Amino acid sequence: MDNKESQDQTTIDRRDFFKKAAAVSVTALAGTSLLANESAGKGDPAIMHHTKWGRKWGDPVTKNQYGIPSAYEHNVIRRSTKLLASGNFRASIAVTPIHESQGIITPNGLFFSRSHGGTAHVDPNEYRLMIHGLVEKPIVLTLAELKRYPSVTRTHFIECPANGGQEWRGPQFNSVQFAKGFMASAEWTGVYIKTILEDLGLKPTAQWMLAEGSDNSKMGRTLPIDKILDDAMIVWGQNGEALRPEQGYPVRLLVPGWEGNLCVKWLRRLEFSQEPWYCKEETSKYTDLKPTGKAIQHFYANEVNSTVTSPSPELPWTDLKDGDVVEIEGLAWSGMGTITAVDLSFDGGKNYEEANLKGLVLSKSWTRWSYMHTYKKGKKLLLTSRAIDDAGYIQPTIDQEVSVMGVEAVYHRNAVETWEVTEEGKVNHVQIRSV
Amino acid sequence: MFKLEAYNKLLVSTSVAAVLALSVVGCMGESTAPSGSDASVSLDIDGGVSHPVVNGKTGNYYVNPQAIGAKINNGRVPNAAELAKWDTDLQPVTELSPEGHGIPEGSGSVEDGETIYEAQCVMCHGDFGSGGGGYPALSKGNAYDLQKTLTNNRWKDPEADGPTRVFGSYWPQVTTMWWYIRDGMPHPFSDSLSVDETYALTAYILNINEMEIDGEEVDDEYVLDRAKFLKIKMPNVDGFEPNIAGANALPAVRAYFGKASNFGGQNLNQGAVRCMTDCQEPTAKIKRIQNGGIKDFIPAMNVTRDLPVKEAVAIDVKKVYTESCAMCHSAFLAPGSGDWAGYTPKGIDKVYANGIKGTEGGMPAKGGTDLSDADFKTMVDYLISGKIK
Repeated sequence: MDNKESQDQTTIDRRDFFKKAAAVSVTALAGTSLLANESAGKGDPAIMHHTKWGRKWGDPVTKNQYGIPSAYEHNVIRRSTKLLASGNFRASIAVTPIHESQGIITPNGLFFSRSHGGTAHVDPNEYRLMIHGLVEKPIVLTLAELKRYPSVTRTHFIECPANGGQEWRGPQFNSVQFAKGFMASAEWTGVYIKTILEDLGLKPTAQWMLAEGSDNSKMGRTLPIDKILDDAMIVWGQNGEALRPEQGYPVRLLVPGWEGNLCVKWLRRLEFSQEPWYCKEETSKYTDLKPTGKAIQHFYANEVNSTVTSPSPELPWTDLKDGDVVEIEGLAWSGMGTITAVDLSFDGGKNYEEANLKGLVLSKSWTRWSYMHTYKKGKKLLLTSRAIDDAGYIQPTIDQEVSVMGVEAVYHRNAVETWEVTEEGKVNHVQIRSV
Repeated sequence: MFKLEAYNKLLVSTSVAAVLALSVVGCMGESTAPSGSDASVSLDIDGGVSHPVVNGKTGNYYVNPQAIGAKINNGRVPNAAELAKWDTDLQPVTELSPEGHGIPEGSGSVEDGETIYEAQCVMCHGDFGSGGGGYPALSKGNAYDLQKTLTNNRWKDPEADGPTRVFGSYWPQVTTMWWYIRDGMPHPFSDSLSVDETYALTAYILNINEMEIDGEEVDDEYVLDRAKFLKIKMPNVDGFEPNIAGANALPAVRAYFGKASNFGGQNLNQGAVRCMTDCQEPTAKIKRIQNGGIKDFIPAMNVTRDLPVKEAVAIDVKKVYTESCAMCHSAFLAPGSGDWAGYTPKGIDKVYANGIKGTEGGMPAKGGTDLSDADFKTMVDYLISGKIK
């Protein structure tokens, strides 16, 4: 289609025209002036020509009775990689395209998906939740009985504690989807466990709770009573609808701010005990080995963190002109509280300026931040964001974090991360560190 | 009665949180901020902020006060058989719990374990548990020697050997292995091994990790049973922090996560500084992705907004014929005659074109199907071939 430049617009066949229109709209989305394109003077073909959708019937309302995204959005999807292919992609993860995320809610179909024995497809009619152990009255609930408790709705992110965990020893992914996309955020509906315990009666010796899934890995984790009596929830609703199978349909645990792995999916059993359990996914994995040779176990909260989502390796500035005013945007989150500030550096963390928070700022939720920047063509930048939460935590430098944790920890890496913006506006993942 | 205890527990939890915040607490729903200024927050076990209900709200969220303390009596008490069926977890031997929990009577030999392993496990976990195929290794050699590699850290010497974290060298409790084999293995057919088979496999895994039980080597002749199982001490049992065992585990956990330096955190309330100018460590430099990095994304990374390329899916000619063609074309292969001879001389392209566009009073366009032109031509070819006879 490149050789069409010299031809009369009217000789372009429809097929090529639509390709061209698509290319122009992509350019438009990226922020370039339409007048800069080849059809200046003749008018933008996307305006001058009749569109295919503008003069024909669209679909009847009876089509797609559960709606699906536009076909043009087919690249906005969860992705995986062979590095994370464990168990034929059944003890594996598919990560969220956070560069395409809008606001602080992830659509259910894009919510990152991690399982330890594949996605279970539970028949809700055969769903049972058993609660027993150190309670005065053990119970078993059907799904209908569970949903009869008074519901609460909360917006929280879920983050795999291995988010960024492949990059302790240096950057590996030139992609924000893979470097930071082991997480997503949603509005969850369910019941506080403490509400159910009001009826069951917790015995005074209870210190721990086992949460166990019904999937083929019987995925289980131990939680301390403190969190159960604070804000741990049993949820069945996600963004206004039932959980997706990938998210534990019909019921999962939701442990606000804590390791995604604790939010046990396809939940079937809660047991209370004086001693903890030592489940596979809280001993062999999800433990952080330090240079002392000791590993941190029960490392609950995902600590304060942030990333620049635009620009990013996926959304570079190659189409910007000198002097263009552009929004630098990103996400900040903390499993230990509410984001109070985000700082942005243009020199890799040497000097910082405070960015602006925008939209709703909620506890243990994604928080949007923004900084208006005047682009200087040909000037290299090192964009580093740094978030602070109301528990007082501020993201460490890589050197600070590594000096305590070493580089073998795998999980809970929350040091600041850097995008290099090249002279051409390309964006590369780099790290600023001494070792 | 149990109702009251639940409330006591709630009260205890709130007080502990407040004590951690170095402040005084009155009753449930009132607590003190880490800064001592905001009554609507307190510190949780993880060192983070929690929001007790204050003035009808928890943080930004309104709370229905009628739902707190409501007498909700849903569900039923499970019977003993139901509890036994699902309560299959194991807990290790501890001071409080000298018999552990859920560890069943049974036995299995290393020899039997190897036989089961070779039949059901080796395809994923490799010969002698060496790993492969995207599944974890179960052994890398002598557990006691490998436990000493846990202080290896490629922090300052990237070329050095890293730590070896496998069952024998790393896992703190053997109950984890038994429980996971019984409930989660083999991965594609879990919950299919008997108690004795599980003991046998556990024995085999102890054997390939060159481990000992009560001073006795788990050799090829070893038979593991419950009594011996209770005596297993993993080499790395003391390799984890904070302590989570015992009646006073939770205060230890709270104290551990209350201190940022334990886990590499930086806390402004604990001496960290929000540096805004000239902050960088002088030795820090740019580290780039090495060797091209990881980029085998599935599917490939792409941010364009075009229409997806439709993958050609072969049509089921017999099915399409039966559903859409047979009504007319079973009685006569070609319209008005017994065969295609009268039509094909005009050229197959003419046949295709007539079929696609339809003919007046005869063939409906594409026979009324929504086949693509290419698929429709496939159907024409199929009919002409005479194979339907």
